[in-house]
Amino acid sequence: MMSIYRIPVGPQHPAIKEGFQWNFKLDGEVIVDVTPRLGFVHRGIEKGMELRSWVQGIYLAERICGICNTPHTTCYCLAVEQLYDVEVPKRAQYLRIIINELNRIHSHLLWIGVLGMEIGFMTYFMYVWRDRERVMDIVELITGNRVTMSMNMIGGVVYDITPPMEGIIRRGLDYLEERTKYYKEVLLNEPTIRARTENVGVLSKSDAIDLCAVGPTLRGSDVKSDARFDEPYSSYDEISFNLVTYPYCDVYARALVRADETLESIKIIRECLDKMPSGPIKVRLKRTPPPGEAVARVEAPRGELLHYVKSDGKEKPYRVKMRTPTLANIPATCEMLKGYYIADIPAIIASIDPCYCCTERMLFIDINSGKSWVWTDSELRRYSLKYYRERRK
Amino acid sequence: MMNVLYYLFRVLIYPGFLFISALAFVFEWIDRKAHAHFQNRIGPLYAGPHGFLQPLADFIKLMAKEDFTPTWANPVFFNITPVLAATLPVFASFYIPFTGMPVLPPFEGDLVLVLTLTTFFTITAFLAGWFSSNRFSSVGAIRVVLQFLGYEIPMFISLGSAAIAAGSLSITKIANSQVIPFAILQPLGFAIYIIALQAELEKIPFDIPEAESEIVAGWLTEFAGRKLAFFRLSEDLRLVLGAGLATAVFLGGGSGAILPPIVWFLIKMVIVVLIATSLRTVFARLKIDQVVRGAWKYLLPLALLQLLITKILLVVM
Amino acid sequence: MAMLREIWRHFFKKPVTVKYPFEKLEPAERYRGRHEFYIDRCVGCGLCAKECPALAIEMVPSDKTVGGKKPVFYLDRCIFCQQCERICPRNAIKLTKFYELAAYDKSELVLDIS
Repeated sequence: MMSIYRIPVGPQHPAIKEGFQWNFKLDGEVIVDVTPRLGFVHRGIEKGMELRSWVQGIYLAERICGICNTPHTTCYCLAVEQLYDVEVPKRAQYLRIIINELNRIHSHLLWIGVLGMEIGFMTYFMYVWRDRERVMDIVELITGNRVTMSMNMIGGVVYDITPPMEGIIRRGLDYLEERTKYYKEVLLNEPTIRARTENVGVLSKSDAIDLCAVGPTLRGSDVKSDARFDEPYSSYDEISFNLVTYPYCDVYARALVRADETLESIKIIRECLDKMPSGPIKVRLKRTPPPGEAVARVEAPRGELLHYVKSDGKEKPYRVKMRTPTLANIPATCEMLKGYYIADIPAIIASIDPCYCCTERMLFIDINSGKSWVWTDSELRRYSLKYYRERRK
Repeated sequence: MMNVLYYLFRVLIYPGFLFISALAFVFEWIDRKAHAHFQNRIGPLYAGPHGFLQPLADFIKLMAKEDFTPTWANPVFFNITPVLAATLPVFASFYIPFTGMPVLPPFEGDLVLVLTLTTFFTITAFLAGWFSSNRFSSVGAIRVVLQFLGYEIPMFISLGSAAIAAGSLSITKIANSQVIPFAILQPLGFAIYIIALQAELEKIPFDIPEAESEIVAGWLTEFAGRKLAFFRLSEDLRLVLGAGLATAVFLGGGSGAILPPIVWFLIKMVIVVLIATSLRTVFARLKIDQVVRGAWKYLLPLALLQLLITKILLVVM
Repeated sequence: MAMLREIWRHFFKKPVTVKYPFEKLEPAERYRGRHEFYIDRCVGCGLCAKECPALAIEMVPSDKTVGGKKPVFYLDRCIFCQQCERICPRNAIKLTKFYELAAYDKSELVLDIS
């Protein structure tokens, strides 16, 4: 009979970036079982979109997640443009590719630094985040803000890249390519990093497919799946780039996948700048889309992101539903954690690149009537105040 | 009467308690500034010239913060361990010959006494974490003892081979008997001692008992205010002790031309501190099973090899 | 030991830290900071208030504009998305590069230009 010892990691813990709880059952230092607990960062965004107009919804979608804001707006705009049944101009599609890939570089560099921090390698963290500033400078040059780009609009994009900017962007990309190659070298050659990440958090290929993992978690387990290849959106099929997979299935593989994807993104942006077509960057559309429903898929840095949009011809959406990649990776994480030590917890949890504020969606389903609805955040607050008041009695 | 005053001055002020505490703050500043410049940033800047007074400012700030004892923690151990943690390294430092003669009269076997006191510190850390009534603290306390099992024996053996080469167990005699520093004659022993020092001071790659991203703060988690101030001071005091021991046993103590011995001793201690800082900067944190396994698989055989080589060379020469 | 050469190289270089607020960096041209409002161009149509995603613009009565109303910007709610600048038919709103907007009192963050 082994003695089970319970440790809660979160919602406040140095390894957890936002509010989330992983309840671990340990036997000594070995993890036996883990139960995740969601709901700490629920903000009622899906309901909030039903109360705001279509264009205001873009900015709300952008704020679902701080770091992957561009895929959210791209996905939302693609879905709404499907309702309008309109194709945005070619130049706008190429600009969308550029900002999505810049966002991917930003997110992956941030993640590599966070991996260093989680395994105690603060120096790596400091250097990578210093070079991440360069990406943010490029984004600030194009869009006016360092992280939250606000560049997508229904019908195209709002900012254009002028020829003087191209020179600055290319020089920035050269610098980033050289530094990313150096950080990949460190990943490959530093023995303590390899000791902490090799054979840790192994997710076999069959488990990854059964548990519906997405993104680099899936590609680190040798599965060729990427929304940019499977269902090319926004002219990705006109750019030639590689699908990066690694066969090791551990945290190390996922780190290498992300490092390589960063290098691929730099190549994609260069190719887009070379092939940039001229023309308008936006089409004018009516204020409200015709009734219908649409689904759009994009490849966010963390995995495959889905937006479902339903319109009934009114000024505000009827229903918007998002399925974020971190939510899909959580069952795979629970499987990945079993059998490893406490010391591996931060590395394994960080390897799926968790974005907990993306994860929180809630849906009430009345089984008998088949109806489903969502709550506003004021309804949620009222319910939580009532719940805790009753518990205190 | 003058003798009593003189000895009180030596124990309390120089090279005793006040001097060692001041050295602790200075070395923490050196460590933090070097760590920062390695990472292309500035480090402490505004407290005093180039942030020189930052460690003192941190200490004063922590002394002024709220200091409480958790309800289920054992009050005796919870309150006594910070005091023990700060005094044990100071007492052990009284046998390091900073100025050529240590504060307390040296005797045969004071090396063993100093090492015993560092062992007592490990037990103190374990008690501090175990009696804190916090899950993370108990995990940290267990890790302290596990890591101790790994590094202790190689460290003692490497110091032992230097003692055998000098023919004495008194630190002062070992320091004075080095014509060529033992770091050059016994490089393997010096390397093993530096690695074991990293583990004893709980610095990366061996900062497992206090691993921030995993168990919040390890065995230090529940301490706040004055108790935390004393624990942080004890970290720096142990750095002074470890660097002083390394300088005395391996780098020839205060020997050197022109300058007085205390200046040479300080210079050599700073070199040891910089080595420790660059090791801290360049590695990631290892796991506890990797540390213990590595220590028994690699460090211990190498230390025994060093001992064997020393014995053979002594017999031959 | 993979980063050993890199860290010793940087030990002798100047750190990258910018000693804000004693040294400041200049933001890019398109940086979205505080609004600048040209009241002589405003016609009081209210489109900015209707379009703002954060509900940070309120139309208040004014005798300086043609339509009798003018916008008041609440910078503590603003998300600096530039939607008001884009939708304004008379280019009366422009976002400048000024970003040092921290304040101790919420009333300092109300931009009421008359």
